[in-house]
Amino acid sequence: MGGAAAALDYDAELMLRVKEGDGASFGLLLEKHRSAVIHFLYRMVQNHAVAEELAQEVFLRVYRSRSTYEPTAKFTTWLFRIATHLALNALRDGKNERGQESLDGSVAELPVRQISDAAPTVEQSMVYRARLEEVRRAVSLLPEKQRAAVLMHKYEEMEYSQIAKVLGCSESAVKSLLFRAYETLRARLAHMA
Amino acid sequence: MRCPIETEEHAETLLAYCANRLDPAQAAALERHMRSCAACRSFQEAQQTVWEALDTWEAPPVPADFDRRLYQRIEAEGYTWWQRLFQPFRPVLLRQGLPLAAAACLLVMAGIIAQRPGERRPAPAPPAVRVESVQAEQVERTLDDLELLHQFTEATGVEKHSPDSM
Ligand SMILES: [Zn+2]
Repeated sequence: MGGAAAALDYDAELMLRVKEGDGASFGLLLEKHRSAVIHFLYRMVQNHAVAEELAQEVFLRVYRSRSTYEPTAKFTTWLFRIATHLALNALRDGKNERGQESLDGSVAELPVRQISDAAPTVEQSMVYRARLEEVRRAVSLLPEKQRAAVLMHKYEEMEYSQIAKVLGCSESAVKSLLFRAYETLRARLAHMA
Repeated sequence: MRCPIETEEHAETLLAYCANRLDPAQAAALERHMRSCAACRSFQEAQQTVWEALDTWEAPPVPADFDRRLYQRIEAEGYTWWQRLFQPFRPVLLRQGLPLAAAACLLVMAGIIAQRPGERRPAPAPPAVRVESVQAEQVERTLDDLELLHQFTEATGVEKHSPDSM
């Protein structure tokens, strides 16, 4: 808990400095949390352009809200609450209706590094891409709140209590969301063992 | 230990084990249990497969011009008249739960300005209309922010009273 409390103090302190008009502190917050927010949004909507647009909106809202900011909770809880709110709205509005990008176009530049140290063969690359596509599809088929809960739990390593605050529900509701989401993923990805 | 699958904790312990979030003593106890419990073992194996599959999904890198574009937008917003007007009242509006009333007032005002029946100019000049509609949009967006902040303050306020268990 000591680490979390320290993190709370530091980010909240930076945000309080932003409130006082210190633009450099906003830059530090942006630097620190930019990747996590973009990655979360990308995995939520699975579209680069939409994720970037939403991430811009998240930080714009953080900046706009500086004058009313009160450190009542962890900064990242607030940040991800804004991000989740925007992602859920975008999904409901069908903003990602251009559809999820196929791996061929969007992630072709990603390193294929888990196979071996040597350059992967064409066949290995194809297998890797097919697996990745399956993972993406399995996650995209989860109901939105379950998806958000899994992404925060898995990639942001958030505790149940923080996910609950982000989603505005109880901890037991988060446990149930995660339980159902992972149950679905275990069924959908069982053949990847 | 009692079998996690048969207790009310459901799979929480097993999920925490796969996420590497059990302390060493708890992890060791679960490992001992799994040696003799096929149900927990197969659950753990399946969950491990999911965990590793999710590990392979890398998110794309942050675009190089992300910050530049953000700062451009921030700068562009900094000079809108309504924001300067509205900013000092935000805390008051937030506390007193008046954002909707404020929205109504501002939108009505914007409406009156936009639709003021033709004194001097029968058709409003296109640039003015565009500016006003953008401003109305911004007002809506800010009220959206206020609403979100309000909900958040309420939510965290409630949770502050209940001690964080576990
Ligand atoms: Zn068992």
